[in-house]
Amino acid sequence: MNELDPRIHQVLDGELPLESLPPELRATVLRLERAAQLLRAGEAPASVAGRVLAELRRPRTATRGRRVLRWLTERHAITIALRPIWSLALTAVLAAVVLVPTHGTPPLLGAQEGIAQFVGHFPGARSVDVVGPFTAWRSGVIPLRDDDHDGVWSAVVVLPTGAHEYMFVVDGERWVADPLAGRYVSDGFGRQNALLIVRPVGR
Amino acid sequence: MSEFADPSDADVIARILAGESDAFAILMRRHEAGLLRFATRMLGSADAAADAVAEGLIRAYRHLGSLDDPGRFRTWVYRIVANRCKSHLGRRSAQGVSLDEAAPVPDPHDGEAELERAEQMTLVERALATLSPEKREAFVLKHVEGMSYEEMAAMTGERIPTLKMRVHRAREALLEAMKEHR
Repeated sequence: MNELDPRIHQVLDGELPLESLPPELRATVLRLERAAQLLRAGEAPASVAGRVLAELRRPRTATRGRRVLRWLTERHAITIALRPIWSLALTAVLAAVVLVPTHGTPPLLGAQEGIAQFVGHFPGARSVDVVGPFTAWRSGVIPLRDDDHDGVWSAVVVLPTGAHEYMFVVDGERWVADPLAGRYVSDGFGRQNALLIVRPVGR
Repeated sequence: MSEFADPSDADVIARILAGESDAFAILMRRHEAGLLRFATRMLGSADAAADAVAEGLIRAYRHLGSLDDPGRFRTWVYRIVANRCKSHLGRRSAQGVSLDEAAPVPDPHDGEAELERAEQMTLVERALATLSPEKREAFVLKHVEGMSYEEMAAMTGERIPTLKMRVHRAREALLEAMKEHR
């Protein structure tokens, strides 16, 4: 490639006036300026402003990663639907966790005491109590709690080992046999009481 | 300055960042023509240039908050569009399409003066297309967009002596290519 006379560059860079060049060098400067002029004047594409504004106003589609992150960090109501048989199995597992002896340090219980957990699903209830011979069938002694207001009421209490009949009292007036109890006994008046077996802890 | 004077780029950007997103149309009106011309010269195709500029403007809008000096919006948006052009050139090179093939052909129904001008335009465009992207960019920024070496340095991140040398080599290469295509 032929190097141009440095004065041509100086003129094109505005460091020297065109008139300072000899005619043959001026012709080269004018050729380059004519080329630039043609390139400046060429037909430009149509405006893209409308297309850009339309894109900017369109809601952005979140990437899969962003969607997952948003799902994980926002509040959701999660409903788990279980077949009754699985509900029973889950109750059995919970009961096993609570009632089966563990190898850790047992709570300070007497030799004839065990832990009983009562769980019932009573959506919309204002209060739920468990009653039985251990409360003299009076409500208000062992109230169940539903701290997260999801309709699942529960209480954990220490009871003497052995079999205990029990009932739930909903809103202080409705008596309900625990549908998940698994064992029931007649109350002698044509109804069934739920039956709970409490085993000694650590034995 | 009159209170009705056009707001500076920095003022417009402050409005956009404050929530007036439609003010971006002011920046587009102000810089779009130059960007389209620059991209057309870089890519040799009006359609590809429109794509590169639209992509660049969208990108600029979404990253406005990261612009350190809003007064330098012009060189910043040129840099974004230049990068989009390089991506298009990379894809096109991978597909085996040359800039020369994209150059327009004079319409024989035009008048004699128009034909001559169109031929000159084709000659210059084809010569420009033979330059490396770096030299082409240097020549277009300096002589078509009329940028100073300082603006070019702000846009490309290169030193001024490097850019000067690149423009000089680009002029020589363009003249050489114009001789060959005559």
